[in-house]
Amino acid sequence: MNAVFRMPSKLGIGLVWAYRLTLGALFPTTCKYHPSCSEYAVQALRRHGLVRGSFLAGWRLLRCNPWSHGGFDPVR
Amino acid sequence: MILYTVPIISQLETVMKHVLNWFHYNAGFTWAWSIVAVTVVVRMLLVPLTIKQIHSMQSLQKHAPQMKEIQKKYKHDKQKQNEELMKFYRENKINPAASCLPMLLQLPVFVALYYTLKNYNFPPGSDLSWLHFIHDISAGTTAQWGGYVLLVVYVASQMASTLFMAATTDKTQRVLFMLMPLVFVFIIARFPAGLVLYWVTTNLWTVGQGLITRRLVQKAPAPTVEKRSSRTPPSDDGSSGNGAQPETPAPKPAPSASQRPRQVRRKKKRTSRR
Repeated sequence: MNAVFRMPSKLGIGLVWAYRLTLGALFPTTCKYHPSCSEYAVQALRRHGLVRGSFLAGWRLLRCNPWSHGGFDPVR
Repeated sequence: MILYTVPIISQLETVMKHVLNWFHYNAGFTWAWSIVAVTVVVRMLLVPLTIKQIHSMQSLQKHAPQMKEIQKKYKHDKQKQNEELMKFYRENKINPAASCLPMLLQLPVFVALYYTLKNYNFPPGSDLSWLHFIHDISAGTTAQWGGYVLLVVYVASQMASTLFMAATTDKTQRVLFMLMPLVFVFIIARFPAGLVLYWVTTNLWTVGQGLITRRLVQKAPAPTVEKRSSRTPPSDDGSSGNGAQPETPAPKPAPSASQRPRQVRRKKKRTSRR
């Protein structure tokens, strides 16, 4: 049962990896945050599931702009 | 493709078609040059972000020696080294140059152009060639001999832009990024030639921007760094900016007097807003 509930977030993590292997490699920027945005997304999806995890990851991407300070910012 | 069922993508495609049409019919560019024009416009819109990045690069340069020390200290633990560096950034309020958003803002453009080139029925008899060596920008890159030339230019420009863009100091990572286009060229070869054209243009823009940025950072670091320091590091200017304002003009009156009041004014504005 637990595995069934985890399926959606696995899908999300798969998408992040698909991004990392394709487009992430095309744009070679390193993130100003630690962990990086994609790593953060994977952790958030694992811990909070697809809906909340995606929301957290999206919010992190918006924070990762030139006007933010970056830094150490783990998933809570 | 499955992705096409996502409604946003078809909307992006429509927008891209309109923009390309405008450049072709109203501005009088050929279709290929319209793609170049779109790329240039997109990059121009991102220039404010780049200016911000120049500032961050200057603050990074200022703190480079301390950062090197941290890197030496945690030489064997990359994870810890990264964490400590990030903490150092935060403590000194340094803004690292790299960030994910400007990069992601370019993604929709790329996707829109991809689908437009795939699906758009260019009016019959329209000129789809570019500089006489690409015959059809909507055709596959490897379907024409000029496409191979374009791919070579792509690899070179991608490597060059990596040199400027990759903000990582990790050497293995840098080498990996440098070698990435060699892998990528096989995927990109299946794309329409116009997409490779977009890629080459945006890379060349990055290289040009990088060259200008480097010159700006090296030649005139003093005035701009001071501008930033009035906002950021708390150790030097933060103390003199708030508490010791009246003290600073007294010991050093002549040379920097013209610059100091400006900083003070800015500080006052900021604090009053908050």
